[in-house]
Amino acid sequence: MNIQGLIIQLLSGISSGMVIFLIAVGLSLIFGTLKVLNLAHGALYMLGAYLCYWISCQLSDLGGSFWLALFFAPLIVAIFGGSIEYLLLRRIYNREPLDQYLLTFALILVIGDIIKLLWGVDFNMVPVPWPLNGPFIYMGYVFPRYNLFLILCGPIVFVGLWALMRYTRLGKVIRAITYNREMANALGTNVQLVYTAVFMLGCWFAGLGGTLIAPLTSAMPGMDMVILIECFIIVVVGGLGSLSGAFIGSFIFGMVNAFGILVFPRLAIAFGFILMIIVLIIRPWGLMGKPE
Amino acid sequence: MIKVIGKGKTGRLSTWAPIAIFLFAGLPFVLPLSWLSLLTEMLILAIAATALNLILGYAGMVSFGPAGLYAVGAYTTALVLIYTELPFWLAFVAGPLLAGIIAIVVGWFCVRLTHVYFALLTLAFSQIIYTILFGWYGFTKGDDGIVGIPIPKLLQSIPNYYYFTLIIIGISLAIMWMIVNSPFGKTMQALRENPERTEFIGINVRVYQLSAFVISGFFLGLAGAVFCGFSKSVFPAYAHWMKSAEMLVVCLLGGIYNFLGPIVGSLVYIFLDKIISDFTHYWPLVLGLVIIALLLFLPGGIAGAIAGKLAMRSDKG
Amino acid sequence: MLRVENLRKSFTGHVAVADVSFELVEGKITSIIGTNGAGKTTLFNLLTGHLKPDSGEIFFKGKRITGLPPHRICKMGIGRSFQKANIFPRLSVFENIQVALMSWAKKSRNIFLRSKTLMVNETNQILENIGLNGKQETQAGLLAYGDQRLLEIGITLGSHPDLVLLDEPTAGMSPEESKGAVKLVQKIAQEMNLTVLFIEHDMNVVFGISERVRVMHLGRIFAEGTPEQIRANKDVQKIYLAEEN
Repeated sequence: MNIQGLIIQLLSGISSGMVIFLIAVGLSLIFGTLKVLNLAHGALYMLGAYLCYWISCQLSDLGGSFWLALFFAPLIVAIFGGSIEYLLLRRIYNREPLDQYLLTFALILVIGDIIKLLWGVDFNMVPVPWPLNGPFIYMGYVFPRYNLFLILCGPIVFVGLWALMRYTRLGKVIRAITYNREMANALGTNVQLVYTAVFMLGCWFAGLGGTLIAPLTSAMPGMDMVILIECFIIVVVGGLGSLSGAFIGSFIFGMVNAFGILVFPRLAIAFGFILMIIVLIIRPWGLMGKPE
Repeated sequence: MIKVIGKGKTGRLSTWAPIAIFLFAGLPFVLPLSWLSLLTEMLILAIAATALNLILGYAGMVSFGPAGLYAVGAYTTALVLIYTELPFWLAFVAGPLLAGIIAIVVGWFCVRLTHVYFALLTLAFSQIIYTILFGWYGFTKGDDGIVGIPIPKLLQSIPNYYYFTLIIIGISLAIMWMIVNSPFGKTMQALRENPERTEFIGINVRVYQLSAFVISGFFLGLAGAVFCGFSKSVFPAYAHWMKSAEMLVVCLLGGIYNFLGPIVGSLVYIFLDKIISDFTHYWPLVLGLVIIALLLFLPGGIAGAIAGKLAMRSDKG
Repeated sequence: MLRVENLRKSFTGHVAVADVSFELVEGKITSIIGTNGAGKTTLFNLLTGHLKPDSGEIFFKGKRITGLPPHRICKMGIGRSFQKANIFPRLSVFENIQVALMSWAKKSRNIFLRSKTLMVNETNQILENIGLNGKQETQAGLLAYGDQRLLEIGITLGSHPDLVLLDEPTAGMSPEESKGAVKLVQKIAQEMNLTVLFIEHDMNVVFGISERVRVMHLGRIFAEGTPEQIRANKDVQKIYLAEEN
């Protein structure tokens, strides 16, 4: 394979890794604070993608419709997520993990079919927005601009979230609750409200990821489960609940995936799982996680 | 908050069992073939779900990957029948045996973890199994699946295979019932309740969990083998996490703290699936709403609710 | 019966148990007291195999048990009750104790017997001894907390231990219940010729039945003697006064 091909493959791997990072970080955040593994996370990502498509279509006469979608779609997903948390999730916080898995699984079914109802089963393409729809040429090689944009998004979000956790009041409260819920409660923090906020934030990330990926892969059925399984692998490798872990895990996964497809196309899907199995056997709490 | 489990006072086994057997044995004389076929499918699902519930409800281990072992059972039987001249009964026994062996290997790794990590590792292993079945075209015929599997003439008619399934499920349930009511079964429940305490009454927790996992895997493989003979075909989808999810939902529907729960769940699930699918394309939506409603309003599942009502009545009366 | 030599355990930066050595004589009831964080529960965890010591040795009935897993140590004859009511909530009171007895009788692996019929008399005997007779069918999680602690002790007895480690057996009990629990421990220890070592905060309990008292502070055994000697010990008083402040 020539260098140009390698570059494309590399960029593709890293940029998809960065998008998965956005979704994985939401999943990890929700698990770290609420102690719930949100199986519906992929479905919310898919919702974001479809909303992006829909908003772009509705407002296609206006210039910059994608950018409007980028603003609104994640917001809508976050609000939707907040209502789910308020109406349903709250009631199962103290229940068995199995009940939590089944509830969030049921949401996958419901959200998936609602999307099917509203938008059908076709692939819904979203055009790559100006000014990112073109190549960036450097040293005679072509770098697709949109992929570069996605690669930038990853670190921006990472730094933003890190700053939020470290320096803002909300971040400190989240960390306190993650560390010791009873204590935080006793100190007067409205734990319930923070749970809702964290869940909404996680959903916002999922929606953002979906919106960003839509121009690249289009909004299509089945994307929810593919991304969910990939997220599982990443949060296991990086460490459930760890921000930097999700970042490193996404990077590793993006690379393993991109080159796995090159080398062993038919078994490439297994690579992620083998990675997951190895980590779970040797170091179950992941690279950056803490043993329980 | 402790969930009060309606103690399964669903009546003495010795009065119910013969009635049930009589009923089920008589059904081929009244039901049309398509219903009988559906019923067979439900019975096979019931074996798988009860097997899953051994570790789910009794041992408290949530697995995301029962379909993997189920598929191992199905594919082993299929491959033996396709590639060798061995008789059906040997191929049939090979299914659960290989599933049990793989369960030993997979289980050994998985029981070293708990809770969400255990669940994710079981998922990873079953997805590996799926990938092997999907990708190893030369041996397993990949996505095409294996069709036209030869089974003995005696089992080829629907009523006959129904009786075969009935016998298998009868024996399987009897064995699983015995296990669940044995000291081993009680110890498993203690493990579910409080693994730390169980360790300190002298139980090697890992060994017991692995044993339960293997027994469960054996019967999952058995269900797969029966299904292989029923549909005379196998596909990689048998190992997919969607199938695992189906088994978990069935257990929830019926109630995991009740031996008969998974059986009730399979009946309701297959029944619902058939009816709803005839009406609408949106079966997943309906199923999702049903699950949510169940979780919020009927936490013990259907069997749990019935058992609870019966317990209340016996308290009053 | 139990001999501990130079036991040491530290967690990142914090030494929980530092160079602890002592010996327990068969048949006596002794206690360990100390302020919070003195290392008492960590010591228990080391004795029962829940934690591995950094260094030091533990001998039980002459055999070396350092580093063995908890289930092996239990089978050798050490029983333990935990600080919070560590029971099997959804099993009945009867089953809670029965399951311990079945393990002791080496029947737990059996898949052929009907568990309902096993060890019935022995289970009822223990229930009688701890005063929970008549509550066989109650779900353990629904018992009052005091009863749960009693059940906890009952489960421990089900393993037929020779040495019983009680971790704050009266924690969370009313003064009434504490008195009852103390009498019970004394009675059972006498009847079954048990060696008992318990951790306690409540001084009345300690001075009531303990034949020998050890005081732990900052991971070390600081003082040792009869209850009267300890009560009179000025240094011990200082530590406890400091805690009250």
